[in-house]
Amino acid sequence: MITKLVSKNFEIENSHTLKVAKKNGAYKSIDEAFKKPAYVIETEIENSGLRGKGGGGAPAGAKWCLVSRAQEMDSLAAASYLVVNADESEPGTFKDRQILEFDPHLLLEGMILTCYAIGAHEAYIYIRGEYKFFAERLNEAISEAYQDGILGDTVKGFDYRVDITVHRGAGAYICGEKSALIESLEGNRGHPRLKPHRPSPEYYFNKPTLVNNVETIATVPFIVNNGADAYRAYGTEKSPGTLLFGLSGHINNPGIYEMAFGESMQTFIDTIGGGVKGGKKLKAVIPGGASTPVLSAEEVKVARLDYESMQSLGSALGTGGMIIMDEDTCMVTALKNLLSFYHHESCGQCTPCREGTAWVDGIIANILHKKADKGDIELLSDIAKTMNGKTICVFAPAVAMVIDGFILRFREEFEAYIEKSMGEAHV
Amino acid sequence: MSEMVNLIVDGEKIQATQGDLLLPVLLKHGISVPHFCYHEALGPDGNCRMCMVAIEGQKRPQIACDTPIKKDMVVNTKNENINDIKRKILELELLSHPVDCPICDQAGECSLQDYYMAFGLNESRRPKEEKKLKNKKLDIGRNIILDQERCVLCARCTRFTQEVTHTNELAIIGRGNDARVSTMPGHKMHSPYAMNIIDLCPVGALTSKDFRFRQRVWFMHSSKSICHGCAKGCNIYLDHNQEKYKSDTIYRFRPRINKKVNGHFICDAGRLSYKEENLERLEAFFHHNRPVSQESALSYLLRYLHDEKPLLIVSPSLSLEELRVLQDLAKHFDLEMNAYHKAYMDEDFGDDWLCSKDRASNLAGVHKLGISTSKDELVHAAKKTNVIINVNHKALIQRTPETEALLVHKKEIHFLSHLFENCKHKELLIPISSYSEHEGSVINEDGILQRFEAGLCNEKPSLLELIHTIIATPSTAKEVWEEDLENIFGIRYEDIPEEGQQL
Repeated sequence: MITKLVSKNFEIENSHTLKVAKKNGAYKSIDEAFKKPAYVIETEIENSGLRGKGGGGAPAGAKWCLVSRAQEMDSLAAASYLVVNADESEPGTFKDRQILEFDPHLLLEGMILTCYAIGAHEAYIYIRGEYKFFAERLNEAISEAYQDGILGDTVKGFDYRVDITVHRGAGAYICGEKSALIESLEGNRGHPRLKPHRPSPEYYFNKPTLVNNVETIATVPFIVNNGADAYRAYGTEKSPGTLLFGLSGHINNPGIYEMAFGESMQTFIDTIGGGVKGGKKLKAVIPGGASTPVLSAEEVKVARLDYESMQSLGSALGTGGMIIMDEDTCMVTALKNLLSFYHHESCGQCTPCREGTAWVDGIIANILHKKADKGDIELLSDIAKTMNGKTICVFAPAVAMVIDGFILRFREEFEAYIEKSMGEAHV
Repeated sequence: MSEMVNLIVDGEKIQATQGDLLLPVLLKHGISVPHFCYHEALGPDGNCRMCMVAIEGQKRPQIACDTPIKKDMVVNTKNENINDIKRKILELELLSHPVDCPICDQAGECSLQDYYMAFGLNESRRPKEEKKLKNKKLDIGRNIILDQERCVLCARCTRFTQEVTHTNELAIIGRGNDARVSTMPGHKMHSPYAMNIIDLCPVGALTSKDFRFRQRVWFMHSSKSICHGCAKGCNIYLDHNQEKYKSDTIYRFRPRINKKVNGHFICDAGRLSYKEENLERLEAFFHHNRPVSQESALSYLLRYLHDEKPLLIVSPSLSLEELRVLQDLAKHFDLEMNAYHKAYMDEDFGDDWLCSKDRASNLAGVHKLGISTSKDELVHAAKKTNVIINVNHKALIQRTPETEALLVHKKEIHFLSHLFENCKHKELLIPISSYSEHEGSVINEDGILQRFEAGLCNEKPSLLELIHTIIATPSTAKEVWEEDLENIFGIRYEDIPEEGQQL
């Protein structure tokens, strides 16, 4: 099941150092790629069907094209930037940090290739503020690369400049949203921007900018080295390639495992995951980071780890970071845990999200503390409806879907709590 | 992009420019769409989510403030679903709002209140003890009081300080429902235009310390006036009310939109200049500190006019009509007339936006009418006479050493709108109405001719009426225009457009 494209060096000793990385083939792809015109890489990425690995799963190639097209259309906006999104803060997701910790040079190699492909000379890595150790490791790798002439004015002796800067965030989940990330990078408050009305790249200081997840960029060297078809050989037709799947929660072998898309979720949990902790029964799985709707044990049996399957089950693959919950998990408490997070992290820009996240969190707290009202489940659904599709970014819709997911699948648990509240009230 | 296209809104056909934003077009056509964050001067921000409309072919409702107009667009602003969304979002806005309308100064001109009456009218589904408490009654400087609980976080105020004044005093701090507008710790508002955020605020979060608790807005009458604080001629609303047994009093100036002159804003100094209008008035005619009747005062005046050939010093802030009849008076009695201007220059006040260093409101008019402003001529003329007639001129009211020298051993006749201590004991004091009481016209420093309405209805004789009784000049502004101003300016009084006429 395990297929190591991105994680191939993770277990090698000192894999994060340039010396070891080079021994294992780091930066080799540049020699060939830089001899060819830039569009070759872009075409290769497009053909590979690589999908963004930060959670949304949008085709990466199309995103790259937007940047090049914006440059062609507006010569004033010609300078472009690459921004790597390392603001990994989705609960249940811890894949990017593995790359940063064990193979930072793979990311840098991917960044250099991407910069060349989109014509960028400056690249930024926006890293989650709490990732202090990883930021330091990344900076060590960057300075090694500079000393070795891999970064700087002449990348590996080619007449092409690439400079990389690491920027540490200040601890806001919303800064993982690409436009909020750019606002934050520009020195502003991290608020998502209004979405454009036609396909358009992001704009960092009014220049077309590509924002991609760490893992997406770290996949680029493989595709450039081996070609689009080699990448397409893994996974399914619509979800080609591999993903760093994560396991956490009530599982015997928590961790990050790279697999091709399309594997059975149940088998993954049972074999690689080693089954539910303590031999208990599986109750539910949040498939791809906290913001994806929860799946019941029944659904897990039929779920395949690709975008299509998850969508057909009314959930999403997200980041592939699965949170496993055993039979003893209280789903009301689990939802409370998630909603506390969203309440805390809503940026507060749009009314439905700002007020809605706080309100639903309060209602769940009431349910847990036996202070619920009879219509609270309907109220939750109603607030979720108001939050869904009426805000600038997808934060509030994600919260709405999380709430709907829990209520749809575990309604009886919520009702039982409300019954208890009612009972207390009568006494 | 500037192609005119048709769109259908609520079944009615509307013409608009392709690519323009939908919300302002809807508002222009009188279609009420609730909105907090959008403001004509600041553009859309997209945070309040109140201006949702249904657009045919779009899966979800869209915010009208960020939707560009497309050809043959079909928009519905009032269907069941849209109204339900507005109601739900209003409910969210009101979740932690204190609902203290009875003691809130914004009541009566509050968007939140209006929208609640139009779309909401629901009971909150959240118990009031769960309301999020924030800070109230914060004095953020420049006469502005901030109540964070009443705030809907539309960010108009913060955007004003960021995008318009570039002073950046305000920001939204905190996340989620803890978000609030705030100044930086230990800092206060300092922009000379800061009080505009009070008008921008659609709710009662930002109120004027100066106006708070003084008058209910529905009791006040608004007159379209022109600020007389400087030569910019900003358009204002003069909000006034006559309470029982009291004289008609101005409670505030508010900016009136005129894109040619001041846009949506006025400066704080101009806004607070209403206080000077409310100062103690000269109520009666005085001759040597003794109250006299109008008839005897005017007969004294006539005697001076006939016998002494006084020098007529007029304020360059007087209206065109006042200046014109004073010119007639000067001509009739063969007087020298001067609107000495230097006293009105204030270098410290001027900036590159709405504050002009010229604090006279009609210098351009003075020049158009050919009235001298030269100091040399003033000094020369003063030497020839023993009597000076002053019409509200600042230099003679404030009595700088310079003017004192001019007035040594001179008899003084003052036409005054207000009672100024310095002039109290002079020969003759004649009360006249001020610009807040009579109508008229002025020309601003950019050569824009503008009319202002009479506001207060206090019984003060206007300068026009007084001079009419002496030499039978026209007694109203309109008549002065008909007699000869319309020939000078080539426009009839009633034809001067609301946004002014560029000369």
